[in-house]
Order: sequence, then structure tokens, then C-alpha cells
Amino acid sequence: MIPILRKLGRDLPAMLGLGIVLVVLVIAILGPLLAPYPEDAAAAHLLRRLKPPSAAFPFGTDNLGRDIFSRVILGARGALSIALTVVSTAMAIGVPLGLIAGYRGGWLSETIMRVTDVVLAIPQLVLALALAQLMSPSIESAMLALSLTYWPFFTRIVYAETRRLSASLFVDALRGIGASTPRIVFLHILPNAISPVIVRATIGLGFTILVAAVLGFLGMGATPPAPDWGLAIAESRTYLPRAWWYATFPGLAILITVMGFNLLGDGLRDIVDPRLRRSR
Amino acid sequence: MLRFVLRRVALVLPSLAGLLVVTFLLIHAVPSDPAVAMAGDAATPEQIERLRKQYGLDRPIWEQFAVYLGKVATLDLGESAFTRRPVARDIVQRLPATLELTFCALALSVFIGVPLGVMAGLKHNTWPDYLLRVFSVLGIAVAAFWFAIMLQLLFSMQLGWLPLRGELDVSIARPTRVTGFLLLDCLIAGRLDAFADAARHLVLPAVTLSLGGLATIVRFTRAGVLDTLQHDFVFYERAMGYRRLRLIWIYVLRNSVTATVTQIGLLFGGLIAGGVVVEAIFDWPGIGSYTVQAILTGDRQVMLAVTLLVGTVYAGVNILVDVVHGLLDPRLMERT
Amino acid sequence: MSRHGRLGRRELGGLAIGAFAAGALRSAQAADATTFVSGFGLPINLDPHQIFDVPMQAVMLNAYDNLYRYQGDPPKIVPWLAESHTVSADGLTWEFKLRSGVKFHDGSPLTADDVVYSFRRMLALALAPAGAFLKILKPEGVTAPEPLVVRFKLETSYAPFFAAIPSISIVNPRQIKANEKDGDWAKSWLASNGAGSGSYRIVPAGYRPLEYLDMEIFDGHFLGWSDNPKPVRKIACRPTKESSTRLLALLDGSLDCTDTNLPADQVAQINASKIAYVQKDVVMRTFIIRMNNTKPPFDNLNARRCFAHAFNYMGFITDILGGYATRDPYPMPDTLWGIPKDAKGYDYDLAKAKEYMAKAVAEGAPMKRPFELHVQSENEQSVQGAQLFQSDLAQIGINLKVVGNIWSNLTTAAAKPETTPDMWVHWVSTYFVDPENWVGQMYDSQFHGTWKASAYYKNPEVDALLRKARALTKQEERAPLYEEAIRKIMADSPDIWIYNSMQLQGLNKRIKGRRFCTVGQGAEMRWVTLAS
Repeated sequence: MIPILRKLGRDLPAMLGLGIVLVVLVIAILGPLLAPYPEDAAAAHLLRRLKPPSAAFPFGTDNLGRDIFSRVILGARGALSIALTVVSTAMAIGVPLGLIAGYRGGWLSETIMRVTDVVLAIPQLVLALALAQLMSPSIESAMLALSLTYWPFFTRIVYAETRRLSASLFVDALRGIGASTPRIVFLHILPNAISPVIVRATIGLGFTILVAAVLGFLGMGATPPAPDWGLAIAESRTYLPRAWWYATFPGLAILITVMGFNLLGDGLRDIVDPRLRRSR
Repeated sequence: MLRFVLRRVALVLPSLAGLLVVTFLLIHAVPSDPAVAMAGDAATPEQIERLRKQYGLDRPIWEQFAVYLGKVATLDLGESAFTRRPVARDIVQRLPATLELTFCALALSVFIGVPLGVMAGLKHNTWPDYLLRVFSVLGIAVAAFWFAIMLQLLFSMQLGWLPLRGELDVSIARPTRVTGFLLLDCLIAGRLDAFADAARHLVLPAVTLSLGGLATIVRFTRAGVLDTLQHDFVFYERAMGYRRLRLIWIYVLRNSVTATVTQIGLLFGGLIAGGVVVEAIFDWPGIGSYTVQAILTGDRQVMLAVTLLVGTVYAGVNILVDVVHGLLDPRLMERT
Repeated sequence: MSRHGRLGRRELGGLAIGAFAAGALRSAQAADATTFVSGFGLPINLDPHQIFDVPMQAVMLNAYDNLYRYQGDPPKIVPWLAESHTVSADGLTWEFKLRSGVKFHDGSPLTADDVVYSFRRMLALALAPAGAFLKILKPEGVTAPEPLVVRFKLETSYAPFFAAIPSISIVNPRQIKANEKDGDWAKSWLASNGAGSGSYRIVPAGYRPLEYLDMEIFDGHFLGWSDNPKPVRKIACRPTKESSTRLLALLDGSLDCTDTNLPADQVAQINASKIAYVQKDVVMRTFIIRMNNTKPPFDNLNARRCFAHAFNYMGFITDILGGYATRDPYPMPDTLWGIPKDAKGYDYDLAKAKEYMAKAVAEGAPMKRPFELHVQSENEQSVQGAQLFQSDLAQIGINLKVVGNIWSNLTTAAAKPETTPDMWVHWVSTYFVDPENWVGQMYDSQFHGTWKASAYYKNPEVDALLRKARALTKQEERAPLYEEAIRKIMADSPDIWIYNSMQLQGLNKRIKGRRFCTVGQGAEMRWVTLAS
């Protein structure tokens, strides 16, 4: 762990990513304490609609007179919780399936991988829109749709790693000395297969925030008055380009957060990808 | 080789069947009643009931599925309940517009992405590398809908260099439809004015759509260069007097082909998801907006057909990716 | 400075980069003076007997003709293909005398047989426009006793019959029969083609569903073109999908008009430009928050009154809509006849709302449960109104959740009282200019199951009044009945009536001669001229 961090420390973009992620995390946790107008998560103030940035409202106000600075801060929690929920759900489904398919082989493996193929082929948007109609559009329907379409990626990665590892000498040796299957899988194969999963998950966190924003933009994600970044951009379209601040700041929040996760993920990949190890 | 391809194709069919079942169940679980939507604003409950009977919507779901499967087997995708046109005809009319856009976006990604990736790899862990990495990540991280509007404001409104929306100016007559691809049709008809206009209309949407691919290709190429540089044979061949850059180009080419083909797979997989936003903002008459419209109106035939289409294309491209990978590295083909 | 005034340097500077400011300016390709680029939305298909909504009006008023047509502002029903009509004393037999010499686009003459065919086709398809006719007219009830006389024999007396006549387009049976398949009345073919006699003809090659549509002038139209020497020769319908693209396209001159749902917040931006302006027209389109009167606490009068007093009507109209609407406390447009002008509506008063809430709670109404208000998520205005309502209700301790939904789901849900949401928001546009279009279909309990009647309001006295008014033919006799029914409905407060619309549409300044009518919302193009 320590050498990984030390390597990461030498990688400037990755450190930048780590810094961004930590800041977003702090903002998400302390959100209501940091926001100057925490009540603006829901309250409307008709008399101060669409005011440009000023000392009182550093990012301006939106179409219902709410402070955009406060809403950007309050939105971090939602964005992170969507990302974490979706990625951890997808991992919870995808990783065990990948382990089973990779270690067991045979018809079970074949079935799992075919189902994975089917799910990968479902257009994500069709699923998200259909679920949004099924459950009425909400953050929950968006999260479910994203989780249901994201797990196959983990299954594929873990499957490939498990196949490689279970054919390797050290697993053969473990079997030879009579180690039980769960012991081999959880104590020996999983830890070795986990690094590409972590890389994928880190990038996936950013990716999820972005897709959730697209769903919000299409009216299939967060519902008003949630201080959601994607929803804010969607609502701001009518006021562009005059109220430029309305779209710009939530847009930057998405951009910076997603960039943070991607830079961190890339840095991690460079470190854990065995093909690249020697270059460092 | 042929056996490899055939085996892959054989594996695809059950996947497509599975996809169809899943989609069918999903669509039928949606509460939106197509008969209500079809009957229109001023309809009475009796009118709606009549439509439900007429379109077999009152039958059990397995029966509806059997009927649908029978039709698909004969390549009949049904008729859209709204446009009243065969779904296949609507798709054939719109798919070329989306494909044309996707191809152009891909070409942009490759021609800009590969040189940048090589540069980043050669200057590994220096400032140019850091900058390129940050920029390529920016390409992924920027919300396409926001970026598209910014492009419109700059290039259409402020500079007036490029058209705001659509695929052809209203003052220019559409060339006769031969392939359905507007650029090709313009050339076939010998209409250079229309070709130039159509190309101008393509620029902004293609640039928007290319961002994600660009970033991915930069990363793949960079990784490829790094990978190549550390192999023993590179040291050997350099020792033999080959120039470093030349070596890199040879090996890099292989890697970028792999990356590009993979990227094609991803782009087509996300054909609709990526297209929807771009097509909506630039009023591009492609398949993405058609799909969204179908979902919003509950047009089941269209939703099924589009899912089937995307699934098929996706599977086809995956096979192609495997074949290309196999050609580049024959060991892979033996393994499967 | 920028070309369009309103794209000021300050705004753009904030938008992104200095590159905006440094840009060389070049005007967009100027559209030619005979092509009108229309931003009206397209109907889902082109058959006027299948679709009947606002986008369809924009196509059918140009491509087809009707027996009578609404013209002018306020709307008056005037002879069009018909020269005159007569009605029997019992209100059952209507005869229309047709003009002679009218030609379809293919050159064949338009006769009474064609009108009979058109009405029978409409009845056989039994789709949207047939709603007003199915119960009162059988196919054999439409006949042509003479080449230029059409006779309708109604099953029962129905006053709104005449008001609904302009909703039926006359189609050309010869073109339709040539394209019929298995007795389908060519409904597949007409969905992407035209077979009319209107001022413009549909160009089938220039049509892609919901994307674009081209129409070209029909020189042989029966009205001739002497009243407009320089008409638009080609209408290119190029609707926009995004509200930001719509605004930009209007401002760069590549779109001559927007659709008719321009958000009030874009008005100032457009009016500041050199190239376009915002046209304001009073239309008959009411904005309503529906309450499901079958679900507690909405079955309680005091509870309903509490909600009616909690909406900030004037704040919404003045601040959010920029004053571009008029407060309408009645369940139908206040510009229509049959309104009891002395009846007082509900005003925004949270103290009163609290009083009614206390009374409702005392009567056992569950006012503390969470409520759902469904809105169409793509509709900015209803989303903002819902959030405003939510914010105010929170102040008196009522918990409202705004749920985004889509139209087809909402109308499906509204078909049953159990699935109808607690509250939902919609407009009622003018399908025909008659109180029947509003109170008649919204509050007569026989319409339960249609989305217009989704309050599930039931009052036997109101039912009796509305049914009596529907069977009479004279407006002077009907008006007092509607006034009395509306007074009773308002006392029961079944819904929250908010405003009657002002229609906002962005128009290019080169447009001259536009004639507005609330039916069709100004989409009829035959008098329009484009100044160069």
C-alpha cells in the first residue's frame, strides 16, 4: 500500500485527481454547513430570480431565485451518493458472478457470460427511460438503470483475471495442498484480481456522475427541486445565453468532479497495470 | 479463421433472443398505454378500447410476444403506431444520418488522437504528458450538452462560420436519395454545393460527439507507446540501428488499430445514448431522437426494433473487434 | 459589439473565453424571400383524421380546407368550403351548401360526395377528431342529396356540433382510394402524404416524421391569391428540439418563427435583437392544477379550498411568467361566453388556507400525509409552478412532492380514479370554441375516464345543467345554464384554476400580414408576406 501511494505521489495529474476527490468528499459531507443558504435546496424566492453573480450570491441565482453557490455545494452529496451506490451495486453483482464464471467453467460459466452479453447489448438509455416510466422518473430509477447496465463490465474484468489466475501455478499448488475452494477464491484469487476492479470503479464513479447528469438533462433523473447538477443545467437551457452563470457553475462542478475521478483512476491504472509496471 | 467467426456468430443468436425477451418484458411493464396515446387528446374511453382490440393489446403478453417473434423471423419489424409507417422504413431513412455522424466523429478522434497519444507516450511523465492527460480527461469529463451549446454560441452565433443546426440548408435542394448517406448522395448526384453545405453542417455535431472517443484513443495510444518502448526487442532493434521514431510508428500503428476498433465498438454500443443529446441540440434527423420520441409516446414496435438493431450492430462490431484483434495477434484466436 | 444586440459582450465573456469577443462577425446565410422556415412543432403523422392537436392544426389549416373555419381574434366561425348552412328547428338536420369550382391539389373538383367520404372516413377511423362526433353521427347520417349540398342527420341534438365542424378536413377520395390497402382507408399512406385542397400542398419527398416537412404553394386554391400578391411559396417546417437552439436559430435568422410556447424569460432577449420580436396574443388555453376528488383529503371541501388558497397566483403570473398571462379564476377562459362575471374566485391567502386546513383536519381529513403533484418534466412552466406551490405549502405544514412524468403516462393514469395522481398540472387548449370544450367535458360526470374529467368531480345538479345546455342550440338559452353550472362548480372548488394564456411566439421581423386566430394559434400562412 505504501509503495503505491509513494508512486502515486510522483504522478502529478493523479495527485491533482486525488486532491479534487478529497475536496468533493469534504464538501459532500459538510454540505449544509458550508452552504450560505442551505434552505435554498427547496425554498423559492420570486423577487431575486436570475441575478448575476455578486458578493451575496457568488454564483448568481436561478429561475426561482435560489442561490446557485449553495445548490452546487448541496449537489455534491447527491452526485457522490449516486456514484457510490451505482458502482458498489454494480460491483456487488458483477464481481461474484465474474469469480464464479471464471473459476467454475462449464455450463454455469457459459450461461453467466451469455447473460452478461445480453445485458451489455441493452442500450443503456432505453433501459433508463423505460425504468423511469416504470417507477416514475426519479434518482432511484436512474440509479437502478445505471447499476443494471454497469455490472457486466465488472463481471468481464473479474472473469478474465480469474481465468488467468486459476490456470496459474500457485493456484495449482494451493489445490495440491488441499486448500478449499472458497479459501482459494476469496483469499488468493480475489485479492490478485481486485486492482483492475478498483481502477475501473474509480473511473466508473466519474462516468456515473456524467451519465446521471445526461439523464437529468433528459428529464429522467433527479426531480425538482433537488439541487442536482445535471438537472440545473437542463433547467438553465431556457435562460441561455443571458443567464450564463446558471449553466456554467453546475457544469464546472460536473467537469471538475468527473475529471478528478478520472485522473485518479488513470494514475492507479498506470501503477497497477502489470504491463506498465516496469516503466517505473 | 472462418470457424472462429462462425462460432462467434452462433453465440450471438441466443444473446439476441435473450435481448428481445428482456426488452419485450421491460416495455410491456411500462404503464403507458399505447392505445391512449394513439387515440389522441380528445378521445373517448370507447375509442381507446377499440384501438386496444384492433392492435391486440388486450391479448396476454406471451401471445403478443409470439406474434411479434413470428414477424421478426420474417424480417417484418411492424408498423409504428404513430407515424403509421413500417418501422424498417423509418429506420432505413434515419440510420444513415446517425452513421454518417458517428463515422465522422470517429475519424476526427483517430486523426487527432493518435498523434497526440504518441507524443504523450514519448514525453512520458513530463509536462506535455501531464497536459495531454489532463486534456484527454477533460474530453471525457465535459458534459456533451453543455459543450455543444458553447460550440453553437461561438461558431454559429458569434463567428458565423458554421450553421447552427440541421443537416442541410433549406435553400438547397436535397439530392436524390441513393445510399441515404447525404454526403455520398451529394457526390453521386455531382452536387458539390450541397456537399459543401452538408459537410459544414456536420462539423459541430461531429466535434461534440468525437470528444469521448478522442480521449480514449489518446489513452490507448499512449499506453501502447509505453508498452512498446519497454520491450526488449525495441532495445535490440535500436541497437541494430533502427530509428526510434520509426519503430514506434510501426508498433504504435498496431496498437492504435486495436484502440480504434475497440472505440468503434464502444461508439456503436453507445450509438443511441451518445446520439440523443447531440441530435437533439443540433436537430440532427437521426435514430437517437426517433428512439426518444418512441419511448416518450410508448411506441412499442419502434422501441423493440431499435433495441434489436443496436444489439445486432453491437454484437457484429464485437465480432469484428475480436477478428481484428485475432489478425493482429493470432494467439488469441487459438485460445477461443 | 455583437451582431444581435442581446448577445452582449458581458454575457458572452462569462460564458467561456475571450475568443468570443475577438470573433470576426459574419451574418448567417440569409433565407430567400419566398421560403418561410417554420418552427411550429410537427404532428406525429400527417393524417388530419388520425391526429387532432395543436401541431396538426398548423399542417391542416395550410394543406386542407374545411366546411367552416375559425377566423380572426376573437375567433368567429366563417363559411369556407361551404357558402352557408341551415339547421332544422329540432337541431337534428344540418344542411351545408358548398361553393362551386373548388379544386383539389390533383385538379379534380371538390363535391358533396367528397365531403361525405371525408366525414365517413373520419368516423370509420374513430380517432382523435372523431371524439365530438361518434356519439351523435352515424356514417349513413351523412349524405349528399345534391352535388353541392351535404346533409347531416344527428342522432341526438348536440349544440357543439357546429362548433366542431372546422375540426374536420376534407380529403380527396380519388387519391386515397388509389393508395388503400386492405380497406385501411389509406391511413398508412395519408400519414406521410397529402390529399387536400388547401393553400399549400405537402411535398412527400420533403417529409421525415417529426423532423422536417416541406409544403409548396397551390396556385389553384379556391380563394385565389389576389388578396396576397406576394405570398410565401414554400413553407419549410424545421421544428427545433431544444429550447436553447430555438432561441439561437431565431436570432441568427435561420428560423422565421418559433413554436407558440416561448418561455417568458426569453422575451426580453428576443425583443432586444434587431432581427426578431415576440408576438403576444391572447389565446383560449387555461392552466389548471387538477385534484383527484376521490382521494382523501381531496374528497373534503375544506381541504380543496385550503389548496386553492395556497397557490401564489399573482406571484406566478407576474414574476415567473413576466405578466404574460391573465389571472383566470374560472374553470374556462374568461373571454368566452357563459362566464358568471360576478362569481369570485380563490385568491392567494395562506391565513385562509390555514383556517380551511384546520377545519378539514377537524373533519378528519388526512392533511398531514405526503402529497404528489405530477408535472410533465419537459415543461418548464409547470415545473416552476409546482415548485412554487411546494414552497408555499411547506409554510403551512403541507408536504408536497413534485413528480416528473410524461404526457402518455399521465393520460393513461387519469383513466381510472385509483391511478390518477393526487394532483397534476395541464392546459386545456381550444379544440373547438364552446363551453363544452372546457366545463362541459371537464365536470360532467359522464366523461369520467377521460383525462379532461380527471378531477372525478360529481355533482348531480351540475350534470343536469350541463346536459341541458348541450342539447339546446341557441347561445342565449345556453349561456345562463353554463353560468349557473360554473357558480356551483366554483363553490365546490374541485380544481385550482390559474390563468388563461397569453401566447408568446418569436417572429422574424420580415414577416408581414400574419393573421392570428386562437384556433391554430396563428399558423395559417396564406396571408403572410416576407419583406426583403
